[in-house]
Amino acid sequence: MQELLQQIVSGIATGGIFASLALALVLIYNAMGLVNFAQGEMAMLATFAAFTLINRGVSYWIAFPLTLVIAFAGGILIQRIVIRPVERAPILTLVIVTLGLATLLNGLAGFFFGYLPRSFPSPFSAQTANILGAFVSYQDLGVIAVTAVVLVAIYLLLQHTTVGLTMRAAAHHPEPSRLLGVHVSWMLALGWGLASAVGAVSGIMVAPILLLEPNMMQTVIIYAFAAAVLGGIESPLGAVVGGVIVGVTVNLAGAYLPFVGGDLQLAVALAIIVAVLVLKPNGLFGRPNVRRV
Amino acid sequence: MALLELEEVRAGYGATSVLHGVSLSVPEGQIVSLLGANGAGKTTTLRSITGGVHWTGDIRFAGRSLRRMHTEDVVRCGIAHVPEGRGILTELTVDENLKLGSYLRRDGAAVRKDYDRVFEYFPVLRERRGLSASTLSGGEQQMLALARAFLMKPRLMLLDEPSLGLAPLIVRAIFEIIRTINTEDRVAVLLVEQNARLALEMSSDAYVLEVGRVAVSGTSSELKGNDAVRRSYLGY
Amino acid sequence: MSIFKLIRTAPPRYWLVVVVVLFFVGLPTVIDSFQASEWAQALILAIAIMGLNILVGYSGQLSLGHGAFMALGAYTSAILAHRYKMDYLLTIPIAGLLTGTVGFLFGVPALRLSALYLALATFALAVVTPSLIKRPVELTGGVHGLFLSPPDPPQFAKDAFTAVTGSAMTSDQWIYYVTLACALVLFWLAWNLVRHRAGRAMRAIRDGEVAAAASGVNIAGYKTLAFGISALYAGIAGSLFGMAVGYVSPDTFPVALSIQLIVGAVVGGLASIPGPLLGGIFVYFLPIESNQWIPAQTWIPSQIASTVEKAGPAVTYGAVLILIMIFAPNGVVGLVTTGYARVRRRLRGPGDRETGQIPPDPQAV
Repeated sequence: MQELLQQIVSGIATGGIFASLALALVLIYNAMGLVNFAQGEMAMLATFAAFTLINRGVSYWIAFPLTLVIAFAGGILIQRIVIRPVERAPILTLVIVTLGLATLLNGLAGFFFGYLPRSFPSPFSAQTANILGAFVSYQDLGVIAVTAVVLVAIYLLLQHTTVGLTMRAAAHHPEPSRLLGVHVSWMLALGWGLASAVGAVSGIMVAPILLLEPNMMQTVIIYAFAAAVLGGIESPLGAVVGGVIVGVTVNLAGAYLPFVGGDLQLAVALAIIVAVLVLKPNGLFGRPNVRRV
Repeated sequence: MALLELEEVRAGYGATSVLHGVSLSVPEGQIVSLLGANGAGKTTTLRSITGGVHWTGDIRFAGRSLRRMHTEDVVRCGIAHVPEGRGILTELTVDENLKLGSYLRRDGAAVRKDYDRVFEYFPVLRERRGLSASTLSGGEQQMLALARAFLMKPRLMLLDEPSLGLAPLIVRAIFEIIRTINTEDRVAVLLVEQNARLALEMSSDAYVLEVGRVAVSGTSSELKGNDAVRRSYLGY
Repeated sequence: MSIFKLIRTAPPRYWLVVVVVLFFVGLPTVIDSFQASEWAQALILAIAIMGLNILVGYSGQLSLGHGAFMALGAYTSAILAHRYKMDYLLTIPIAGLLTGTVGFLFGVPALRLSALYLALATFALAVVTPSLIKRPVELTGGVHGLFLSPPDPPQFAKDAFTAVTGSAMTSDQWIYYVTLACALVLFWLAWNLVRHRAGRAMRAIRDGEVAAAASGVNIAGYKTLAFGISALYAGIAGSLFGMAVGYVSPDTFPVALSIQLIVGAVVGGLASIPGPLLGGIFVYFLPIESNQWIPAQTWIPSQIASTVEKAGPAVTYGAVLILIMIFAPNGVVGLVTTGYARVRRRLRGPGDRETGQIPPDPQAV
């Protein structure tokens, strides 16, 4: 029983990591009707930026928000330079562009940082806390806390600030928003910046576990896809719920289903994606009408 | 110098040309009707003003040319455009829609007063404040669009067929409010309408478009009084 | 029509094809055996890219997981040859048909997915493929994969080759010719497919499903057919790949392969027949050339050189993909055709009408 609880808490922690990246995907999907295949690589680069800062002696809790700012700026830059030229192109063109971006960023990371995996510090102690008789690691609790804070902050920003309002307006109704004086193009850039920052959180949280190297996020993005699809690609809440469900499911499957083991956990994610797309394509919280035809 | 001046405006969509040289002007604080049959180019004229369609010629607002300006910048000059279909942001609540009307303004106290007036004109909006804008009926959406435009505190309002699809009672109420806004706040209005009679009652001047050109223009009383014009161009 | 009239009236495009075919047939006589093996692999990629092109360029469905189909074809052949001692040449069509059938079945649920979701699901498939291969160790050899002994060229081929070049035909050269033969057949089939009814139907679907359905096109049928055909091509390519390389292992089918295929399809030119050939050559030779060129530049320090070698292809693929999508969405073929058209218009003057060539379709992806 205790072990089950441990696995579940661990799963929620991993789920939080998936949820952050999934939320980034949802933000961009809402803004443009596009699934950003480069989201994971963007997060990976941001994590390398954090690594560089920490290596230069910047303390973790200063490097963390600083990295989010860098990621934010990077996201805006990418939208302005790479995405804007093809903004009005068909959706598959955009998908291919994000694929190209992912490949490019991966190569750049390899070029600047090499392919050797590096250890990345975690600010949480490796000890465990005794909760209801189960030994839950501070690492897991810490990850849950950090991702929860970030997700709540995003929610507050989007729902309760003017900037968030204009971003949502521009994302869902670009033309009418223009008639209200909203600089839709800049809102799109902001959306990318925000998504990039949120995605960076998942990179920073997962790096201590997976070791930092250019291909680090390749599996995480698949889990994030599963989370976003499960939750409903348009729903931020869905991303969070989906993330937690995927995290817990994958963890439990790996622990309790003998044929799954460590390496087939990814296949569980694929199974989730396929199952959702076949059975309930709009996910748990999605709505039936597709935004972009 | 009029508040809004259009000079030989040509506009179209891709290869199709819709406006073939439209000239009109809206004096400060006046209501001007833009009439004509379907497809005459009334909506295209409004869209040209706010940069929604490519145009040549000149369009000047308060003396300043709007050439090559982005829509959002034109709007920020003080023009509120309520488009065909009203442009309600249905993913957002009624309150959020209203907020998007006023968010550019810096005069907090005046904004609050304007909100009071909005709810005075349209009490239903206060009732439905927290609800999604998609739950509003057609007439209520028109009210929301108008309220939102009013909150922008514009110098000029472009209204595209405000009466479309609405019951006569509601239409009359809305037009009353438009008239009030015009007289009390000195907001000029360029009113596109198929319902020519209603429009001519409100406006001081009128232009009739036919196949992308101004066929007839003059004061509203002139057009109302001219039987031939009424019968051939205005349909009544 | 007499043969002379045929020769005189054939459009220049046909002559180009003849020249290209002759080039490839004669190539192994002038390059060494190792290079022949390289060109074979480029042709293999071209075959897979042709299949992908049918799916993406002509029927408008984006698959980012065709590497998985290549893996299926490769492993089918490898298992049949390795465990059941089947003649390798025989395994090629079997692998193709098996993969094609799987692809066709794949196409059925794919119908329900929007283009975006299909891309997402196939991408996930591509990432998961190596782990899926590793699992049934008995069958697939797990992490270590399966080794395949190089095939011995049959006597008639050996004799022909020696007669022309004076040297003995190596296994690699034989593999090259097998690949070339498959490529010629498959490209010819593809050309016929897109010219006739199926191709037109697919293009109608790609350009607007609602309109196509309204004109009576069997959307579901053609879309799944496209999937099946493209998987068949990928399966044959995979099978040939195993033969050319000499082994199959999970690591030879990473997600990067699927991305290479898309890069090749896009760079060459979607919805064109020559495009995949150019794409295959580009995608295969780029990392090799940069790997050879970079270390040869003595002014680049060695650490940088080694990371550029590893990272270079990725950076180049990524940058090329982005730039092509922004500036030349029709790929190289598109550039050439629009360039050619512009030159012809200049030369012939405004009064002339252009003859009815079959241009690559405007990019509709």
